Amino acid sequence: MKVRFKFSKHGVLKYIGHLDLMRYFQKAFRRTDIEVLYSKGFSPHMIMSFAQPLGVGVESDGEYFDVEVDDAEDISTMVSRLNEQMAEGIVILDVVKLPEKFTNAMASVAAADYELNFYKNSPLSEELLKKYESADAVTFIKTTKTGEHIINVKEFVFEIRLMDSATLFVKVDASSAGNLKPLNLVQALLKLDDKNPEDYPFHILRKDTYMRDNSGNLVPLNVIEHE
Amino acid sequence: MMQYTALPEEVLMSIEKPERYIGHEINAVYKDKEKIAVRFGMCFPDVYEIGMSHLGIAILYDMFNKFEDTWCERIYSPWVDLDKVMRERHIPLFTMESQEPVKNLDFLGITLQYEMCYTNILQVLDLSGIPLISTERTWDDPIVIGGGPCSYNPEPIADFFDLFYIGEGETRYRELLDVYKDSRAKGESRDEFLHRAAKIPGMYVPRFYTPEYNDDWTLKAFVPAFDDIPTKILKELVTDLDDTYYPEKPVVPYMKVTQDRVVLEIMRGCIRGCRFCQAGQIYRPVRERSVEFLKDKAEKLLKNTGHEEISLSSLSSSDYTHIEELVRFLIDDCTKKKVNIALPSLRIDQFSVDVMEKVQDVKKSSLTFAPEAGSQRMRNIINKGLTEEDIINGAVLAFKGGWTKVKLYFMLGLPFEQDEDIEGIAKLCNSIAAAFYEAIPKEKRVNGRVNITASTSFFIPKPFTPFQWAVMDTPDDFIRKAGLTKHYIHEQLNQKVIRYIWHEADVSMLEGVLARGDRRLSKVILSAYKKGCIYDAWSEFYKHEAWLESFKECGVDPDFYMYRRRKDDELFPWDFIDCGVSKAHLLREWKKAQQGIVTDNCRTRCSGCGSARFDCGICINGR
Repeated sequence: MKVRFKFSKHGVLKYIGHLDLMRYFQKAFRRTDIEVLYSKGFSPHMIMSFAQPLGVGVESDGEYFDVEVDDAEDISTMVSRLNEQMAEGIVILDVVKLPEKFTNAMASVAAADYELNFYKNSPLSEELLKKYESADAVTFIKTTKTGEHIINVKEFVFEIRLMDSATLFVKVDASSAGNLKPLNLVQALLKLDDKNPEDYPFHILRKDTYMRDNSGNLVPLNVIEHE
Repeated sequence: MMQYTALPEEVLMSIEKPERYIGHEINAVYKDKEKIAVRFGMCFPDVYEIGMSHLGIAILYDMFNKFEDTWCERIYSPWVDLDKVMRERHIPLFTMESQEPVKNLDFLGITLQYEMCYTNILQVLDLSGIPLISTERTWDDPIVIGGGPCSYNPEPIADFFDLFYIGEGETRYRELLDVYKDSRAKGESRDEFLHRAAKIPGMYVPRFYTPEYNDDWTLKAFVPAFDDIPTKILKELVTDLDDTYYPEKPVVPYMKVTQDRVVLEIMRGCIRGCRFCQAGQIYRPVRERSVEFLKDKAEKLLKNTGHEEISLSSLSSSDYTHIEELVRFLIDDCTKKKVNIALPSLRIDQFSVDVMEKVQDVKKSSLTFAPEAGSQRMRNIINKGLTEEDIINGAVLAFKGGWTKVKLYFMLGLPFEQDEDIEGIAKLCNSIAAAFYEAIPKEKRVNGRVNITASTSFFIPKPFTPFQWAVMDTPDDFIRKAGLTKHYIHEQLNQKVIRYIWHEADVSMLEGVLARGDRRLSKVILSAYKKGCIYDAWSEFYKHEAWLESFKECGVDPDFYMYRRRKDDELFPWDFIDCGVSKAHLLREWKKAQQGIVTDNCRTRCSGCGSARFDCGICINGR
């Protein structure tokens, strides 16, 4: 049976990178009695799929991964059993059973919510957001193997608003094809005021991660429609 | 609890691998410091992923934290990027657990695993704000104590330490901590405390011993300052390895460290007595842990860490009496749990080939032999009880099991070495390749052909070995011999399948000096550190010129330590330590080496090395 876990990641654990976080969960499962299924071969590994990797330094209230467990497992106690093995900073929030042949966590991701908090001095203002709304294109330059590309962030932002004078809320594209990094959004936004993002350090909190349901609406990754 | 890091966010985000510095790992021990009498910092003076892989520290960390009045925390060398930032911003070195300055601790314990970490000791002290020279410290500073294999010749770093613990750490720390608590309660001076500590077995306080030298620079005498401290310090050891500390919940790092697995230490010591090997002498006598003990620990350790691999640790695992029973148990247990088994230091025979077929991917893994020397004559000189027949037979067994990759480890520059011995390396590799083609018919050759990798390192004479009297080769000798090895390999019929790798000679020179050095080297090490030497064990940071300048400026001739012919009765700087094996035995072995005479291993026949006085292990049973 495939299940999807939701967890949060805070505190010093924000410095743990994605690959190490996967190793951390593999070891955590081995410390529980949850029967996780393994791939075949000489070095069997757990069959796991993480949603969107979280950057080093980023905290989150809404991370997800899928894992295949034995059919006989009791799903109702799984959250508490895994929580017993968590380091301070990571909390398992939920687990849901996935229908057969459900798209895996990584491939499902469509969008993510972020709170960006400027903890030293804030470049944010209502005027800046108005400038953003009225501009045709708000851009940054993305350097890839094929060269430099001008990206219009407005194509990838679904929602943007001030929460307070130092905190910005955004809902952005997080799909594999169109993932917009919060840093790039801030670069593009501050360019409207000719400000250098390096002068405005900010904390990133991912609030939740979304997929599209059958009707095309954005729903959190743990909201599963069973037939 | 609010998680705190000593390093501010902007620093953590600007350096490589911030995970090295944040602590809070699974199974890390946190205590209420208000309820603690002694705070002990256990330091491995190298980067986190190396230090976190060390079993000895894991054992002592567990032991100290079992003491209710003690909190033991871990300390590692900051990597070069953070080192620079800490100096610029005056951030003091901190512990992993509390993230508090090292200077707040009562003890700073530093493990001495290799000579090339000596400048990192100074880095740790310096970044902690602790005076580098022990006699300049006050009660504002922790007691700096060293231990581990290099403490068997602590003299080159004597100036930097208040204390050395000679031998295995499980036995005397409780006593030392009790003396410390009592001494502090009575308001005694640092010297008064150290004087009391020097009377505890295994403890060496360098400031209370004065070396005197002859005109030819050799040591004349080594004189204790008080009548009530020993002139000779006997190493400490655990007599019963089933009745001692062994961690069941070791710290599990977030990042991938060098030993990312459960490590089971199955025994201490080695029956073999290879004449170049220090570990084979200083850990005598051989003491085994029982299979029951190990099975129990293996299960608990896998459960408590979640590691996906387990490895056996010892100097020669095939010599463990119950190796077959233990390995069969592990294969059975681990296959169920999808845990990999790593079996280093197993002799290649029918049993190990059968076992490894079960636990390894034959196509990918390689087979390792350590003949150490190419010719039988040379293997007899070093007392490596391994014949060409053993090696070929083992290789053929493995080839039949499907292996096609063979790694061979050799040393160049061994005492009495001749060019024919070096040619022997090439010939042996060739014979193994020939054995492959002979044993495996063409249609059954898995990867088509065999791959042999011969690797040589340069021999460095170490204290407390029969070769402690040996003259070391010069870098020019080494380079010539490496070239010669290459030349001989090219002459072989099967040269196309033999790859040759050798190690650099400059670093070996420094290791050679430090290994058999005396107290006059402390100022050279200090000078090298002040010239920016740290991480000498990492070839990319090793600054050979800075070291050469330091020797020159301090008026110390490195050649004295490497190339001088030592007399049989010379007083060595480490002779104030009694490692159990007598100097008379070592000298006998040195003479036998010169004649190419082999000495039996401990199980076959006792050679009277002197370790029987510990009255334990193989000396009282199991022959």
